[in-house]
Amino acid sequence: MIGEAKALETLEKVLKASEADQTSALLLGSTRGVTRFAESMIHQSMAESNTEVLLTAVLGKKIGSASTNSFRVGDLKKTLQRAVDMAKVQKENPSFLSLPGKQEIAKPLTFFPETAKVSPKERAKAVKTLFHKASICKVKLAGLFATGEGEVAVVNSLGVRAYQPYTFAEVKVIALSADSSGFAYSLSRDTQKIDPEVLGERAIKKCLESKNPRDLPPGRYDVILEPPAVGELLEWLSYIGLGAKSLQEGTSFMTGRLGEKVTGEQVTIYDDGLDPEGIAIPFDFEGVAKRRVVLIEQGVAKGVVYGSLTAAKEGRESTGHGLPPGTGGGPLSLNLFMEAGNVPPDELPSRMERGILVTRLHYVNGFLDTRRTLMTGMTRDGVFYVQEGKIAFPVKNLRFTERVLEAFSRIQAISTERQAIGAAWSELGATVVPALLIRDFNFTGETMF
Amino acid sequence: MEDLREVIHSLKRKGVQYADVRLIRRMHQGLSVKNGEIERSLSVEEQGFGVRVIADGAWGFAANSRLTKAELKKTSDQALRIAKVSAGAGGGRVVLAEVEPAIATYRTPIQKDPFQVPLGTKLTLLFRATEILQKDPRVKVAEGSLSFFKTWKSFVSTEGAEIEQEITESGGGISATAVNGGEAQTRSYPSSHGGDFATKGYEFIEAMDLVGNAERVREEAVALLSAEDCPSGETTIILDGPQLALQVHESCGHAIELDRVLGMEMSYAGGSFLNLEKRGNFRYGSPLVNITADAAVEGGLGTFGFDDEGVPAQRTEIVKDGIFIDYLKSRETAAVLGERSNGCMRADGWNRIPLIRMVNVNLEPREGTLEQLIADTDDGLLISTNKSWSIDQMRLNFQFGCELAREITHGKLGRIFKNPIYTGITPRFWGSCDAICGTSEWHIWGVPNCGKGEPPQTARVGHGTAPARFRGVQVGVKR
Repeated sequence: MIGEAKALETLEKVLKASEADQTSALLLGSTRGVTRFAESMIHQSMAESNTEVLLTAVLGKKIGSASTNSFRVGDLKKTLQRAVDMAKVQKENPSFLSLPGKQEIAKPLTFFPETAKVSPKERAKAVKTLFHKASICKVKLAGLFATGEGEVAVVNSLGVRAYQPYTFAEVKVIALSADSSGFAYSLSRDTQKIDPEVLGERAIKKCLESKNPRDLPPGRYDVILEPPAVGELLEWLSYIGLGAKSLQEGTSFMTGRLGEKVTGEQVTIYDDGLDPEGIAIPFDFEGVAKRRVVLIEQGVAKGVVYGSLTAAKEGRESTGHGLPPGTGGGPLSLNLFMEAGNVPPDELPSRMERGILVTRLHYVNGFLDTRRTLMTGMTRDGVFYVQEGKIAFPVKNLRFTERVLEAFSRIQAISTERQAIGAAWSELGATVVPALLIRDFNFTGETMF
Repeated sequence: MEDLREVIHSLKRKGVQYADVRLIRRMHQGLSVKNGEIERSLSVEEQGFGVRVIADGAWGFAANSRLTKAELKKTSDQALRIAKVSAGAGGGRVVLAEVEPAIATYRTPIQKDPFQVPLGTKLTLLFRATEILQKDPRVKVAEGSLSFFKTWKSFVSTEGAEIEQEITESGGGISATAVNGGEAQTRSYPSSHGGDFATKGYEFIEAMDLVGNAERVREEAVALLSAEDCPSGETTIILDGPQLALQVHESCGHAIELDRVLGMEMSYAGGSFLNLEKRGNFRYGSPLVNITADAAVEGGLGTFGFDDEGVPAQRTEIVKDGIFIDYLKSRETAAVLGERSNGCMRADGWNRIPLIRMVNVNLEPREGTLEQLIADTDDGLLISTNKSWSIDQMRLNFQFGCELAREITHGKLGRIFKNPIYTGITPRFWGSCDAICGTSEWHIWGVPNCGKGEPPQTARVGHGTAPARFRGVQVGVKR
């Protein structure tokens, strides 16, 4: 960790030397440890320390970006020169107005010293305890225990000066027998909010309960999707349609439908970078303060998230969801929330006469037809048939192919509790979702386990 | 190199079972033009080192971007401490298969260094191609991109290996998305998801002829807007080269990774149905199906001199006459079988642990041209270019969505259909393969975005394919 004072001062020093009309610097630093296990032993354990700096130079309306992972002032200045050189040969980008100006930025609590201090030894000790429990139950464990600290800083020549340190902890446990598996997961900025033993017990219980799975033919079934499954669907919805770029390009399911009902009335989805129930981070990669954005409210399409470039195209302000300038991505909602309902999670099966309970999904893909939110994917790590309100027996995994927003219009119940599900960007965001009971979910294929 | 030797000597003195250190410097240039504007213009340089240690039979890995003697020592000590801690938690059973320690250098043979080609030349190419895509107002997204990587790797191990490599990778492509009412349809060239990639220089980009193909791409994207949905049912399909590359990738390439087979990736990507009992006797495909893993073939995106544990690039027969016979292996997993590694360990940079990654996993060509194959097909579909991909964690049930299908009737191409989807179970699907085109149609397609591991790693791999025919495939799904 470089720390706030040194990070900001160094970046400002580099920016002062810039010949560009506008210049910005984004710093992403992290020190993390990941303890991975499989077959109930630690097979990969690593420590990593890295600091990346992305410098963006603007010459008129020409933009160039360059990055380095050296924090030496000399190397940073050379990198800035590369950014300037990139910008010089560009064509002007007519959509570009300006880098963002000075922002008032909140300071949520995102750094927990105890989490930053977790050692490989502590992680190993925690997972060893799980191995012991698994061995008693004659199952094997796979998963990970990751902890770390990081920092994000954005400085630009228009007065943006943002810095946020953070910590994170993530535990994933998959229990496996010859013909079954179970899954449990937790993600938090504070490792003390995660109890690996409880997660281990949950995964083992699910694994034991899903032994001897029966075949179930594909077809439409009522389904309970537990939070990890819902999280994956929402993450895809965000990726294909909740950012301004896909709206503007016409590939989003929101295109031409703002203000219209696009899904069920029970569905409210929003982005909130400051809510501590998620993985909070108060500003985006351009240094713009994150605003709370309601995306879908009671089934009606309300809006999408913007970065400064997409906002400029519509003459509006960024919502604080820009990805690094010059990198071509986004904007992206990294702090998605789905509003909770009024049914305790344990009572969801009792609301169902017969159907399927899905623990999580695997390899979901939302590119099939983005306008219609057609997605496919497999179930994984615990699928159960529910009969007369109770879990009756485990079943083999199934493939679904479904228009997700249409499916969400058939939601029968939403759980009271939500869970934060991490994605590839789990250090800087998460999807916080409840469990859902959906009528007539379309399972289109079966597999052999 | 001298500093790396010092680290290794120091770890040796501390009595480690094994250690290696990789020092990596990587340059990347990414350019994209969308709708007449530059969307991405990025130059990346990064460097760092990673130290792997086996102590008390367990692995430890530590990586650091600060290249000083003090950080080298601190990081190697950290890797040793992690290994000992892991051993204490029951991780101490690692044995490595033998390898002859190499003292060698390798450099990707290229004709034109892409980093020496002026930026203006590259951007002009992208603007010219995308301007052609934009000539129809129904094309709402006209995009072209180019990506170049140059990686310098130095590798030193306690067994005496000292290897230096310089690997150059180039890739690019164009795509047009036509939008009308509630419909959005995309066509890409030469492949989707960023195009085609190879371990070649800028000559690879020039040979693609992005500009010459832009008009066809535009017309096909627009035509898809008024095309009918692809009909559902069991039928004969011919897959084109780019889609077949992804089919090989998902249903063969990942399934033959021995770390997955041994359960080492269950927490993320999953396992494999190709368990150890199936080796040498399991019918993976029809007798026409021969699949090889070849890291030594010139120009493939999965081509290199040595893998990231110093094992030389080599060719392995994976499926012979339809029978599954071998895996992609590392030194650790090969030792479990009492064998030698076939050189498939690669890491996504200095700060990641090497994992078993595909090299160039190739479906070997048979005979004939695509034209002859179509003429030989009474009734079916020619399905082109990947749009979506999904497969279960044991690599059995797959479903692919593609950009375009062409009807085949009495040996002739007919109507185009939008939104083709096909699905199957891996060995049944490959068992239904009754024709594979010959060398004139064969090309190694670069897949630049293969994900695996935690933290996530991206590998660039290759798949040699020629169009092939499959019988009785389920096309479409119940909606």
